[in-house]
Amino acid sequence: MHKTPLLDQLESGPWPSFITDLKRVAGRKKAAADLLGVLERSYKDKITHWKHGGIVGVLGYGSGIIGRYIDIPDEFPGVEHFHTVRVNQPSGWFYTTAALRELCDIWDKHGSSILNVHGSTGDMIFLGTTTDQLEPCFAALTAKGWDLGGSGSAMRTPSCCVGQARCEWACYDTMDLCYQTTQNFQFEMHRPSFPYKFKVKCSGCPNDCVAAIARADMSVIGVWKDDIRIDQAAVKAYAGGEIKPAGGGTIYKKLDIKADVTDLCPTICMSYEGGKLSIDNKNCNHCMHCINMMPQALRIGTETGATLLLGSHAPILEGAQMSWVIVPFMAMEAPYDEFTELIGNIHEWWSENGKNRERTGELMLRLGMRAFFEGVGLPPVPQTIRTPRANPFFFWHAEDFEAEAAGRKYIK
Amino acid sequence: MALPKAELVEFIFDMVAKAQGKKQLKAMDIQKAVLKAHPDQPKNDVKFAIKDLIDGSRCVYTYFGGSFIEIPHEEGAAKH
Amino acid sequence: MADRITDIGPPKFDKFLPPIIKDNYGKWKYHDILEPGVLMHVSESGAKIFSVRGGSGRLVTTDFIKDVCDLADKFCDGYLRFTSRNNIEFLLTDQGKIAGLKDACAKMGIPIGGTGHSVTSIVHTQGWVHCHTPAIDASGIVKAVMDDLFEYFGSHKLPAQVRIALACCLNMCGAVHCSDIAILGIHRTPPKVDHERLRHLCEIPTTIASCPTGAIRPHPDKSIKSVVINDDRCMYCGNCYTMCPALPVFDSVKGGVALLVGGKVSNSKSAPMFSKLAVPYLPNNPPRWPEVVAAVRKILIKYAEGANKFERVGEWVTRIGWEKFFEVCEIPFTFQHIDEYRWAYDTYRTSMHFKF
Repeated sequence: MHKTPLLDQLESGPWPSFITDLKRVAGRKKAAADLLGVLERSYKDKITHWKHGGIVGVLGYGSGIIGRYIDIPDEFPGVEHFHTVRVNQPSGWFYTTAALRELCDIWDKHGSSILNVHGSTGDMIFLGTTTDQLEPCFAALTAKGWDLGGSGSAMRTPSCCVGQARCEWACYDTMDLCYQTTQNFQFEMHRPSFPYKFKVKCSGCPNDCVAAIARADMSVIGVWKDDIRIDQAAVKAYAGGEIKPAGGGTIYKKLDIKADVTDLCPTICMSYEGGKLSIDNKNCNHCMHCINMMPQALRIGTETGATLLLGSHAPILEGAQMSWVIVPFMAMEAPYDEFTELIGNIHEWWSENGKNRERTGELMLRLGMRAFFEGVGLPPVPQTIRTPRANPFFFWHAEDFEAEAAGRKYIK
Repeated sequence: MALPKAELVEFIFDMVAKAQGKKQLKAMDIQKAVLKAHPDQPKNDVKFAIKDLIDGSRCVYTYFGGSFIEIPHEEGAAKH
Repeated sequence: MADRITDIGPPKFDKFLPPIIKDNYGKWKYHDILEPGVLMHVSESGAKIFSVRGGSGRLVTTDFIKDVCDLADKFCDGYLRFTSRNNIEFLLTDQGKIAGLKDACAKMGIPIGGTGHSVTSIVHTQGWVHCHTPAIDASGIVKAVMDDLFEYFGSHKLPAQVRIALACCLNMCGAVHCSDIAILGIHRTPPKVDHERLRHLCEIPTTIASCPTGAIRPHPDKSIKSVVINDDRCMYCGNCYTMCPALPVFDSVKGGVALLVGGKVSNSKSAPMFSKLAVPYLPNNPPRWPEVVAAVRKILIKYAEGANKFERVGEWVTRIGWEKFFEVCEIPFTFQHIDEYRWAYDTYRTSMHFKF
């Protein structure tokens, strides 16, 4: 065991210590012991000691394995190779202990016994093994019904919020859409053939617990079209302080319905008078605030589905983007053919036109929304924009004149 | 004229071999090059010809900030 | 290839769902937070499921997961899940078992909380544990910050929830760009070219092609068989180091930490927002990064003091104005704060709506 005086200082304090945890397996795993050693070195040098490995993988796949090598292998031979295995998580990150133990046993046998539960994209990350263990590890995983997630210029592992499994706000079955989409795009997940990564994240409502709008090329966010269901008796109970605000997740003991709910409504579409809450649902922009404040009194509507938004990514290269609306409403019912077909069309348009390392959102900006909409067969609708353009630089295509002559709108 | 499957596989392999060390090819680069030389080649043929090369270990997927198809080789990071 | 199993995807989720969830799937009516870290969801049928949420370091071992499994076997009939912010959720049907589970978690060092108006677990990246382009460690800073903010994990005393995230370089695998408080590792200098190693380890054409801004070109002296970097065009993304290990992007002295604040992904009240630059540089100071810990705490405290009820960090800053944010948090305003990138104009003040 290496001496780790700097890391040891991370063993105190109330938050769980990853150092204490890593030390537990360091006795039986050389990789874990050497990981602590090299991490201590990084804490001293203030630099990383890892190099990227771009070739290792399992036979047939171009995804799921991230190669790593250390730059000081003579000192830390246990982590000379320290490759990562991305294991595709079950929808909603539900497990039985039997399943988790099965995964732990595989990783105890074939790797460092160190893992991330879970990685940013959603996969369970097995952290650190050698090249010769990749195939046996993969075989052990698939034999038990597990598979690798996506990496590289591929369809990435879709992920989703808990959805209808344990949330009253889920406007569609996020876990099933996530599972079916993962299954539908296995070839594209494991054989990278896109210009860059393509992420799908499924949130059940506009609270967006998987941050779909910020970090998925295709963000699927649940929404309803009809009226918020109101239980007026429960509203009164909130007003009277018998039910605590926001499910009790605040220090505020009692909800002031006017100050805390109706006055904070972004569309001012609700009022509370004479002990009765009224909502002008036609003007509601389904922000969720009132429902978040009074989960026992207000429920999402019953005509539910999802909004599709496209384009978000982290800052590389054009600066961070959030996804924007491309389809305001899709019913989102199994088997999700309309959704699957649209993703296929987007992949095709992007693959045809995208440059290396250009995300879908960047391509849409480069070629314009019209090119995108026409390319994938979607109509222009006002929900996709915040405001129309303020400049006079709009142009007309031959199809527009044809449509005009034929008395149609300027769409195909 | 569309190439028969076996010839398509060799056509792609040659393309990858010639580019090795000079330009990293993506699956889409390969598809576009095939379609330029053989406009009637179904796209699906290209997809499965690449799969054939990968499954047979004649080519590998690599990842260096983007995913490419290359001839297997020892990478810089694996050397000391 | 013939006997290989491939492309089977993950196991179908329903085999991991406890019976109460199968029975009430899509029928949940409302939820209540019974105490910090303990959720109760009630079905239209009246059935109740209790979720006890515990923090974890995200970077864990199989020993830890097996210990967690022991708890889930003892208290939850073997059912549990994890959240999008790396918390553990023990799923119980028997309310009477919650106290015992909480005691057992306390013995194991698993803190209970992360619900409602708390600071929940920090979403983060790999840092020096596994990444090749980080400016900083990830798990260590997270540990130090969460130790300091621990009181906010197991309580609901903030004006609204505060989501903290950490990414160890600007590639932002952790997608921190829409967080209430984002901790970001920053490089401040271009990669250093090791000409001697480069000629042996790297292909020059593919190394040049790897740069997203076109900042790399062949070394003018062809006999050196290397490259040169145009410092003015480099954005420190490290992609050339991904391609070529002779172009390390890190710098032990100049690398450091930036803080961005005011992002959110929820649509509640206000639309989702990006996090904006608050502190352009703090020193990279392991093992406990005291400057970062103090700066995060200061922003959190000033927010807690200044925000209205239910106001997220970004909503608070938008209301008071950024000039007031810098004043209240005593953060010096610098050239680095003013955007010069692609959509900079969107950030300039084109009104008289500002404060002195």
